[in-house]
Amino acid sequence: MTTERDSIEFDALFVGGGVSSLAGAIRLMQMAKEKAMELEVGIIEKGSEIGSHSIMNPIALQELLPDYDSLNCPIEQTVRGDGFYYLTRKKAWRVPMVPRQMHNQGFLIISLARFARWLGEIAEEMGVNIFPGFSGQEVLYGEDGKTVTGVRTGDNGLDANGKAKSNFEAGIDILAKVTVFGEGARGNLSKSLIEKLGLSSQCLPQVYETGIKEVIQLPEENFFSHNPVNDIHTMGYPLGLNVPGGGFLYQMKDNRIAIGYLTGLCYEDPGIDPYDLFMSFKRHPFIFDIIKGGRVVEQGARTVSSGGHYTIPRLATDGAVLIGAAAGIHNTPALKGIHVGMKSGMLAAEAIAEALEKKDVSGASLERYRRLLDDSWVHPEIYEGRNFAPALAMKGMKKWIHLGAQYLSKGRGIIDPLPLDADYETLRVLNTAPTETTDNMDYDGSLMVDKLTGVYLSKTQHREDQPSHLIIKDPQLCIDTCYPTYGSPCTRFCPAKVYELETDEITGQRQLKLNPSNCLHCKTCDIKDPYQNINWVCPEGSGGPGYTTV
Amino acid sequence: MNVIVLLKQVPDTESIIEIADDGASIKTEDVKWVVNPYDELAVEEALQVVEKNGEGQVTVLSAGIKQAETAIRSALAMGAHEGILIEDERLERADTTATGQVLAAALKKIPHDLIIAGQRAVDGDNYLVPAIVAESLDLPILPVIIKESIADGKITCEQVIQGGTMVVEADLPAVITTQRGLNEPRYASMPKIMKAKKKKIASLSLDEIGITDDSLFSNPKIRVESLQVPQKSRAGIIVEGGTPAEKADNLLRHLREDAQVI
Ligand SMILES: Cc1cc2nc3c(=O)[nH]c(=O)nc-3n(C[C@H](O)[C@H](O)[C@H](O)COP(=O)(O)OP(=O)(O)OC[C@H]3O[C@@H](n4cnc5c(N)ncnc54)[C@H](O)[C@@H]3O)c2cc1C
Repeated sequence: MTTERDSIEFDALFVGGGVSSLAGAIRLMQMAKEKAMELEVGIIEKGSEIGSHSIMNPIALQELLPDYDSLNCPIEQTVRGDGFYYLTRKKAWRVPMVPRQMHNQGFLIISLARFARWLGEIAEEMGVNIFPGFSGQEVLYGEDGKTVTGVRTGDNGLDANGKAKSNFEAGIDILAKVTVFGEGARGNLSKSLIEKLGLSSQCLPQVYETGIKEVIQLPEENFFSHNPVNDIHTMGYPLGLNVPGGGFLYQMKDNRIAIGYLTGLCYEDPGIDPYDLFMSFKRHPFIFDIIKGGRVVEQGARTVSSGGHYTIPRLATDGAVLIGAAAGIHNTPALKGIHVGMKSGMLAAEAIAEALEKKDVSGASLERYRRLLDDSWVHPEIYEGRNFAPALAMKGMKKWIHLGAQYLSKGRGIIDPLPLDADYETLRVLNTAPTETTDNMDYDGSLMVDKLTGVYLSKTQHREDQPSHLIIKDPQLCIDTCYPTYGSPCTRFCPAKVYELETDEITGQRQLKLNPSNCLHCKTCDIKDPYQNINWVCPEGSGGPGYTTV
Repeated sequence: MNVIVLLKQVPDTESIIEIADDGASIKTEDVKWVVNPYDELAVEEALQVVEKNGEGQVTVLSAGIKQAETAIRSALAMGAHEGILIEDERLERADTTATGQVLAAALKKIPHDLIIAGQRAVDGDNYLVPAIVAESLDLPILPVIIKESIADGKITCEQVIQGGTMVVEADLPAVITTQRGLNEPRYASMPKIMKAKKKKIASLSLDEIGITDDSLFSNPKIRVESLQVPQKSRAGIIVEGGTPAEKADNLLRHLREDAQVI
């Protein structure tokens, strides 16, 4: 069946309405004004609203909107002091020297959802067309099969079997002279574009960490009321020192805090459940003392692309560029991606404005964006962390020797570049029989919530009667191979219980049951599945988590 | 055929609602605002009426504050032809009597053959405004319908009653209100959203529609005294029953009687 599709044209189309795209679109409108060009600029965002708590280095914001304060930028707090702690099972040791990359004093604590909403309003006032509720489903190429000409949006109104309902609305072709991929970590279109055009053939594989975050409402009198430290990072318990990851806790406005835990997806033990690790972190006496008496008001999960410099793909191709976390632009030692993502969007915008002016949107012309990035403050920041992710993925003393050498040699370390494995390759075979997932932690439903309550608190929603947006290429492999080998790790690494193992009452056959409507769009499954048997695609527009503050 | 849709902007049903310090209103800072879901059904039905009729137009009317424009714009993006906002700060907290009277006053100035409203707004759950509008305009009201058809100046509707349906009829102009199942609201397409962005939404003040009596707002007939959040109980139940059919019957009973969702 061929479907009649509408098409619509833009000069530049940003796919994904995160901070990188929003900063890019604003910068592009500024450039258009300077050059007295009329540009039609669009942003599509799969969420129903443009939009976790984060510490932001304000450098890119100061460059983009120097008067951000008078424009009522939603800032929660300014970092007063950093605390970096090493946790053992029962104790916390304050690390006397905070690594230089993690000095955050003076940085801004923001709610990423609120901040993005604010940038969105500014972009709209400048004339950018923002379309919330529209997902990019497919990259469109020209006749040569390699020039990107735009994206096709997802169909709306299909039932669970993929049949059109009475209100079916076919996706449309959005054509653009330049398409900007700002989909965040592991973007589904970015993934297919990078694969198809071989954009990362010269790179180390991208690696990720899964972060689960909460906003907790504390009583009036709390830890931060009289504490000079309002930004805490931890390492050690419960993950230990072999797998990258750790916890964080920041103060927000109105007696709220943001708390979260990151787990490096290069872990080997198929029994790991990042959600359980987060719960153990919250129960650690040092942390529990800070959050006691509180109530979780929002929860969310997302992966971070943490590979760094050597994993960044080619950023420009004919008709398209990649920006922000979708391109792996992230300062891993500092745990920060917002400012570098924004700056990449802004520099891409400068290159795009010039390319549109010259009427040459070839890859060669757009390549100027990479040069601008290499000449900016982004490059030395990211370059210094170039061997950090591979070192973090090591175990035992080796890790500390490499990290120490890198710290002293501005990143070069002992071997440069250090090799890196993709996250799906690292699981080791289960040596015991697979256990069914145990859910024996005690949850009080208020400060300690289980996965499903967390799903509720993420406000995620999907229209139920639609095709699954998690595509299992070979369902039989899940039962015949994955279950005996790794014990179906998807039932553990997914923080939202999307994957469940079921036994058919009558036949006694095991099968994997999917609950796609729980999905938080974190993409852990697409990354960590050892057989790369799961493909994450966008669900119907507007579906997904409805974060308002995390 | 002039079809008017009465539309309200409400907090998204997925929003987590917190009660404000006054104890009688909600915190609105992080609330996401949407078109009342029953009003989406009304917009869809209005569009279908005009499409079937071959001519006419759909006008969306809302009484509220400036931000309600986004809800009106969503209706325009579905295909409604015109949007009108009766704008006044006092309307944010107005009771059903005031809201109904304000809408009716505006409707006296707007030609209408059919008025379609949601059966209720999911925020206040009062079910009253459409009836007050009908009463003030001396029009018949056919509430909570799942089907309508129009011929010879009459509208025939189906309503769900205990154990069956009832067919009712009235002369136009009339007010009807929507029930789930009436239709599947269409999606806003991107070209229509672009067009809707450029449309002007007319704004009317209370003065312009002849509402000058402030006591409607300063001395409302109904006042919200306090709000409480229901006790959270998310414990599940396992539906018992010997056969699948029995289980299904019991499930239906739970859904209808305990959960009251169908
Ligand atoms: C737990 C955690 C803690 C972090 N803490 C910090 C911190 O303290 N400081 C810091 O600087 N950084 C932090 N980061 C990193 C930071 O969040 C990212 O670097 C930043 O959000 C990247 O911005 P982006 O715009 O590139 O992508 P995103 O913010 O991921 O935005 C991408 C957007 O695109 C949309 N989208 C994706 N695919 C499609 C599609 N196909 N069609 C339409 N829309 C689509 C998504 O819905 C999303 O809104 C943290 C990340 C995590 C996970």
